Amino acid sequence: MMEEKILEVLKNTFGLEEIDMTISQQTCEAWDSMGQLNLVVDLEETFDICLEPDEIGQMKNFDDIVRILKTKGLE
Amino acid sequence: MWFVFRNHTIERFFPKGYAFSGYDDISVIPENAEGYLWFYQIPIKFNQGVIAAEIDDYALKAGYVLSRIGIAKQMVALTMEWLYAVPFADDDHRLKRAIANYNESLFLLAEQYPNLKVIDFNEFTRQYAISDLIDWKYYFISQMGLNPRLTKDFKDWFSRKMDEIALKRKKCLVFDLDNTLWGGVLGEDGIEGIRIGGDYPGNAFSNFQEALLELSKSGVILTICSKNNERDVLEAWEKNPFLILKKEHFAAYRINWADKVTNIKEIAEELNIGLDSMVFIDDQPAEREFVRQMLPMVEVPEFPNQPYELLSFFRSLVEDYFKVYSVTEEDIKKIQQYRANASRAQEQKKYGDFNEFLRSLDIQLTVEWANEFNIPRIAQMTQKVNQFNLTTHRYTDAEVRQFLRNGWKIWCLSVADCFGNNGITGCIIVNGQDIDSLLLSCRILGKEIEFAFVKTVLRIMKGNGMKEITASYIPTAKNVQVAEFYEKCGFSLISENEGIKYYKLSLDASNLDIADYYHITIK
Repeated sequence: MMEEKILEVLKNTFGLEEIDMTISQQTCEAWDSMGQLNLVVDLEETFDICLEPDEIGQMKNFDDIVRILKTKGLE
Repeated sequence: MWFVFRNHTIERFFPKGYAFSGYDDISVIPENAEGYLWFYQIPIKFNQGVIAAEIDDYALKAGYVLSRIGIAKQMVALTMEWLYAVPFADDDHRLKRAIANYNESLFLLAEQYPNLKVIDFNEFTRQYAISDLIDWKYYFISQMGLNPRLTKDFKDWFSRKMDEIALKRKKCLVFDLDNTLWGGVLGEDGIEGIRIGGDYPGNAFSNFQEALLELSKSGVILTICSKNNERDVLEAWEKNPFLILKKEHFAAYRINWADKVTNIKEIAEELNIGLDSMVFIDDQPAEREFVRQMLPMVEVPEFPNQPYELLSFFRSLVEDYFKVYSVTEEDIKKIQQYRANASRAQEQKKYGDFNEFLRSLDIQLTVEWANEFNIPRIAQMTQKVNQFNLTTHRYTDAEVRQFLRNGWKIWCLSVADCFGNNGITGCIIVNGQDIDSLLLSCRILGKEIEFAFVKTVLRIMKGNGMKEITASYIPTAKNVQVAEFYEKCGFSLISENEGIKYYKLSLDASNLDIADYYHITIK
């Protein structure tokens, strides 16, 4: 459930046609430093959470996002 | 591509097609840009003198860039706002002054360079609490100069500002009259009775008119589309001293009983402007919906429920449709031309899909026999209704009760549609086989309900074995609109005496079909 929602956010934020769980900063061109900011804003709005700067620094791929969001009590 | 000079991270606030300088970097001025945007905000520092000096420096840089880009390309600059700074003393005005000077130098540059347009950023920031303008987390992780949550609002606002610079604006306002430009209903309350000037709510309407008069001086065309007797309105314009907007302020008007879509199309033709440059203002939801459905290119904003909301309504009208970067001489002259050219063809043309519109309204008609509960309302209507009133006989409750005891037949009509319930808004009084009174409140006119009502009553009488019915029309100063009503219902004119017309109708021989989109209940 949460995984699908995250994929949806990634897809919209980076304007992708297709997406899977292997997405990372290495594989996605739009996921640059500016993309990272947009992603954080969109995740915060979608899940109504607050991401801390060190967490933002750790978010480099899909699994990172899932792991961090789980620490916020999301499932 | 537009190129943005900036000192903070602001990329996400702009749509595709914008490229960005380095932070506070004017060393690169790309020549292939379509236009340039200057968007510097206060640097986050703590020595007021240092900040002030830096801001002075920004102004010089803006001037330098402007001198380099060539007069053929547009540059747009946003003013500077006090987003964050902490002076330690009340008498330390250095920063306030530096911001004022910076903005003043942008205005001066705009006088010198016609290709520079200055946008007041305060117009955006003042909608928010100061604490909402910057999100410090984003400032520290990326130097973001504005709260990312304001992205959508900023984009909308900025794109409107760019439209204003491109001089895109609507041209023409089309107004209803009753309860829109004044309070009350002219046909019922009379020239002195409408609410305009004086105490509330009249003062709200006169303020609204005053505001519109000024707006029209900036080149916006004012017109009227109202269901009223033209003669009454002309007389009101002449005689009510509180009306600020008078005949000469309207470039065109249609004051008649035809549907508003037809009238708006005629106004557009008469003024030779596109329907997509018109904004229609009416207090009646059904009229607004009719125009929205039939003329989707016309803008139809919601109208405030209370007169005290008119001035904030006025502000959104201006900001949404009529604000422009600068008003030209031409705009002002145009208004006079439109007025001079205005010729007022008064034909009534029916709109082809009118029936479809009526169907969509889901009109519910309830025809109810007079009883103790509705008699006071029936009597009151005979006293008040002037326009759609065939004989204008005025009766008291006592008289109405006496008629019933004498065997007269009295029905009243309640009307509801998908926008709400209008309550009892019509009645018919029949003495023997003569229609003594027939009247409808003008609130419900324009949906051909009058025909459905009369035919329903005629059907009931026919069902009771009546063969023939007579009726009359007595002209007054107010009821011209119904002079031909009985003809339209299929009655034959028998005689005419001193303006009074006498009719009869054979119930067996006449067509009493009612369109199937009226849902009629008889009680």
